[in-house]
Amino acid sequence: MNELSRAQIRDLMAQVLGNQGKVLPGDDAAELREIGFRSLDFSELALRVEDETGEELNFDAPGLRRIATVGDVLDFLVDLQRQQ
Amino acid sequence: MSEHAEPQPVPPSSVVLVSGGSRGLGLAIVADLLDRGVRVAAFARTVTPELDKLAAEHPDRLHAGPVDVTDLAAAQAFVRDAEVRLGPIDGLVNNAAIGQDSLHVHTATGDIARIIETNLTAPLQLTRLLVRRMLGQGRRGRIVNITSICAQRGFPGLVAYSATKGGMDAATRSLARELGGRMLVNAVAPGFFASEMSAVLGRTQLDQIVRRTPSGHLTEPAEVVPVVRMLLREQTNINGQVIVVDGAASV
Ligand SMILES: NC(=O)c1ccc[n+]([C@@H]2O[C@H](COP(=O)([O-])OP(=O)(O)OC[C@H]3O[C@@H](n4cnc5c(N)ncnc54)[C@H](OP(=O)(O)O)[C@@H]3O)[C@@H](O)[C@H]2O)c1
Repeated sequence: MNELSRAQIRDLMAQVLGNQGKVLPGDDAAELREIGFRSLDFSELALRVEDETGEELNFDAPGLRRIATVGDVLDFLVDLQRQQ
Repeated sequence: MSEHAEPQPVPPSSVVLVSGGSRGLGLAIVADLLDRGVRVAAFARTVTPELDKLAAEHPDRLHAGPVDVTDLAAAQAFVRDAEVRLGPIDGLVNNAAIGQDSLHVHTATGDIARIIETNLTAPLQLTRLLVRRMLGQGRRGRIVNITSICAQRGFPGLVAYSATKGGMDAATRSLARELGGRMLVNAVAPGFFASEMSAVLGRTQLDQIVRRTPSGHLTEPAEVVPVVRMLLREQTNINGQVIVVDGAASV
């Protein structure tokens, strides 16, 4: 399967934020709440990853509740691609 | 992660997909949107001469074709073609539905399944398809579900149909919450109006509905259309609502 790397997902995440005039900090520990990355932004990012890989990424909501930092987002999507 | 609302209002829809746009209310919605300069994609299982005529009058603004809403792959292909011609879709009217005129105990189980598939499963799938496109491209949009007064009041002979309409009303509320202000999601619930779907109602039933309606007449599609247009085009903060248009027959 055509998987995106962590760095590639990071670039897409920067685009999602950039479209809203926001900046993705370089630090993985940055809090999503601080940078204004909301749950629908996560959905948008997941759909962009799908678009690149051509694979649907479906997942349940509880997993999302634990996501609080930029690093969490990237880890989640890297793992999710492997599980599909 | 926070689910809080987007600060900016959702812009008016400029390219709208109308399911079941070949006759009845759907056709009236298509004609009205075209009149207002909106680009429209409309499908039904059969394209009627009326829809064909509109397509000939507005070759650059109407994309019409035959699609069964229960065929997700066909709907997907239609959406893709429509977007190539008209630009990205940012409005959806879930209008296609089939009616019912049979007591629950005498409705074939296959017919119950078909009503649910057409009126509930298919619009949920179509909505998912379009929301995924809009969200994936960072677009905002509006969704209007055409439901029915049957979702809120009981009518014999319409059990499965009512269940699907109630299901769509419920989905409207949850989707409005889920989409966190990026999209406005509402339902319009008309009372009975004259169309192929309601042709099954007898004269006595229609007279009874009119007698019970304070405004003294059956709802007309033309009276529902402006409400749909408002939800798609005006800047309001209406979201997650079901707007009943029935002349207070149900009040
Ligand atoms: N009439 C009423 O009294 C009334 C009252 C309250 C709410 N409503 C609601 O208003 C909406 C419009 O109803 P209407 O009275 O205008 O009905 P209608 O005249 O029967 O039109 C229904 C439209 O949906 C299309 N459709 C039905 N099944 C479809 C399928 N499987 N795939 C694609 N398109 C399909 C039909 O075209 P094809 O058959 O060619 O596919 C037609 O374009 C419906 O959601 C209905 O539930 C109606």
